[in-house]
Amino acid sequence: MAADADIFPEEHSSRISWAGSLMLHSALFALALFGYLIPSGRGENWGGTEGGGSAMSATLVSSIPLPNAQPEAQNVLANESKGLSQSQPRETPKEEPKAIPIPARDAKLKGQRESATAKKEPPKQVAKAEPENVVPYGQGGPVSGPYGSFTSGATKGGFGFEGGQGDFGNRFAYYVDIVRRKVSENWLKYEVDPRITDARRVYIDFDINRSGQPTNVRVAQSSGIPSLDQSAVRALQRIDTFGPLPAGYSGNYVSVEFWFDYRR
Amino acid sequence: MNRLTPLLLTLAAFLTLGTQVYAQDWIRTGTGLGVEKIRLAVPDFKAAANDADSKRLTTAFSVTLWNDLQAAGIFDMVSPSFYPVSQPGTPQDVNLAQWSDPPPNANMLAFGNAVAQGGSLAVQGWLYDVKNPQSPQVLGKQYRESASEDNAKLIAHRFADEIIFRLGGGIQGIAESKIYFVSNRSGTKEIWQMDYDGANQKQLTHVSTMALSPHVSPDGSRVAFSGVSNAEWQILMYSLELNRQVTFPRYQGANLSPAWSSDGKQLAFSSSRSGDAEIYAADVAGGELRRLTTSKGPDVSPTWNPKTNAQIAWVSGRTGLPQIYTMASDGTNVVRMTDQGYAVSPSWAPNGQFLAFAWIRNYGPGAPGASDIYVMDVASKQWVQLTHDGGRNDFPSWSPDGRHIVFQSNRSGRTQIWSMLADGSQVRQLTNSGESTQPNWSFK
Repeated sequence: MAADADIFPEEHSSRISWAGSLMLHSALFALALFGYLIPSGRGENWGGTEGGGSAMSATLVSSIPLPNAQPEAQNVLANESKGLSQSQPRETPKEEPKAIPIPARDAKLKGQRESATAKKEPPKQVAKAEPENVVPYGQGGPVSGPYGSFTSGATKGGFGFEGGQGDFGNRFAYYVDIVRRKVSENWLKYEVDPRITDARRVYIDFDINRSGQPTNVRVAQSSGIPSLDQSAVRALQRIDTFGPLPAGYSGNYVSVEFWFDYRR
Repeated sequence: MNRLTPLLLTLAAFLTLGTQVYAQDWIRTGTGLGVEKIRLAVPDFKAAANDADSKRLTTAFSVTLWNDLQAAGIFDMVSPSFYPVSQPGTPQDVNLAQWSDPPPNANMLAFGNAVAQGGSLAVQGWLYDVKNPQSPQVLGKQYRESASEDNAKLIAHRFADEIIFRLGGGIQGIAESKIYFVSNRSGTKEIWQMDYDGANQKQLTHVSTMALSPHVSPDGSRVAFSGVSNAEWQILMYSLELNRQVTFPRYQGANLSPAWSSDGKQLAFSSSRSGDAEIYAADVAGGELRRLTTSKGPDVSPTWNPKTNAQIAWVSGRTGLPQIYTMASDGTNVVRMTDQGYAVSPSWAPNGQFLAFAWIRNYGPGAPGASDIYVMDVASKQWVQLTHDGGRNDFPSWSPDGRHIVFQSNRSGRTQIWSMLADGSQVRQLTNSGESTQPNWSFK
């Protein structure tokens, strides 16, 4: 090895590299084939209606649905629920106005430039008759999601627990529901930067100890928007307790991954 | 060794992927899944014996339980007309599917039985999560008291509070809380007391001149109020333990609208001892008097932020018409909360997040001003109107669970005490005789 001053001094070991490569590739192949067997951290999510795009239903308040819930249902037949899940049509992204067509080279004339900028209108002020800080009556109450968002326990969306290692979600679905309700209520969307209209999901992890206090709140996956991350953390910090963990649960605490979808 | 590294890494990746979820119970949930009230079905409890006594007490129990749960504001009560015909009394009687499917379409079912035997009333109650057939039981309770209608109601209150505590996110129920108010039904305006639902109304004070603005201490042992004594308005103190008036220092001028801090250590009130009505704070014995406001114009009706006791909201007329302001409890950092009209009687919510107050938004000649109850989010100053076109509403006061507001209104003719959910729904009249004003809900 000392004699040949080759720039590929390890050439002779290529066979082992081949073998290694082969193993690695077959491992990857196996992963691709049987990867679904591996329990994953994110898994399918409880609640199931992920991506349904239904409107966010966080109300302004802890413990009081503010403002009023839906108006009294006129139809007393069958179900007092209005059905709720009126999904919003997805907004088509507006074309960015910043793309100003570049004039052809020969069309460039002096003087035109000034007029082009002079024409530019200032951004339109949207005149609002109502003061901005009033929540319209009857809006912002409970929205979306049929009552059976966790019908029949583990099966139909709702609170199925992935992998089957823990059974908290199966046994204490109602507690999960309380957690969801309480966090949603305490999430104040006005804390988010008003310029943001759409954002990636932010994941918050926290633990609930036996007495029901959320502890160890941290951002598990940022949305990339600090004010949104912050508002999500604050929603948790605002909560004193979720109520004691169910008596039938033996663990000392339960970990929660909570995601926040922000859409304005 | 270098050659083995990728293999080892792959192996390590497999191992970590495989093990990381076995460690701990995880809840994965999020927003946008729909938040709605829990649909709760509460069939009448079954009388386990057939005698008249059992039936009477069981009925009293069932009615009280239903009323408490409905008043709680966190449940969507399933109408009894949707219930299956068979009335469950024990877990064996329950057919979960009957309750979880439409028409009841309930999330939760509270049921049980009661029996009066040998002078005692025994109640068994369960709360079932009917959408979760694997392990439906959330709560199972057993109560035994001597057989009387009052005890039947008491047990119902306790069972209701237990359900509310479990399903309401750890907030205690209010079934045993009290409301203090002013009424002139005995001739002069005196301080009265009643249960949260308007029952058990009784007179406390006998000052025989005039008593106003009661405010109960956080431990429920005293009521501070302002009353005329020796032709001057003074802060007076009534002990609920001794059932008589106890001493409190007297100051010059008119002293009005006392308010306890939620730690029970301080009392804020307005006093005109310096000529102009200003906010003062003192300790419970009336010592360490501190003046908090200094501006011209009246400053009255202080209320502490019960969550922190570091802030006080009050009413100031420094700019003309009364408006709501907040300040730190040492008088600094004054912030004006309302921007127009005539805003009075603030009450700070137990969670520290909201102010309830009475507001005539359009005030003045020619303006159709109606005094209504509003709630404002303190941080953002967003507000919501809670009462609509219902007479003159004033003096809101939060319930200890932060879900209810009691207030006075003359919508039924004379001014009486009403309560509602903090979103403005479920308005109920609590008093009927004489005129009743200035309600104050106890701290617990």
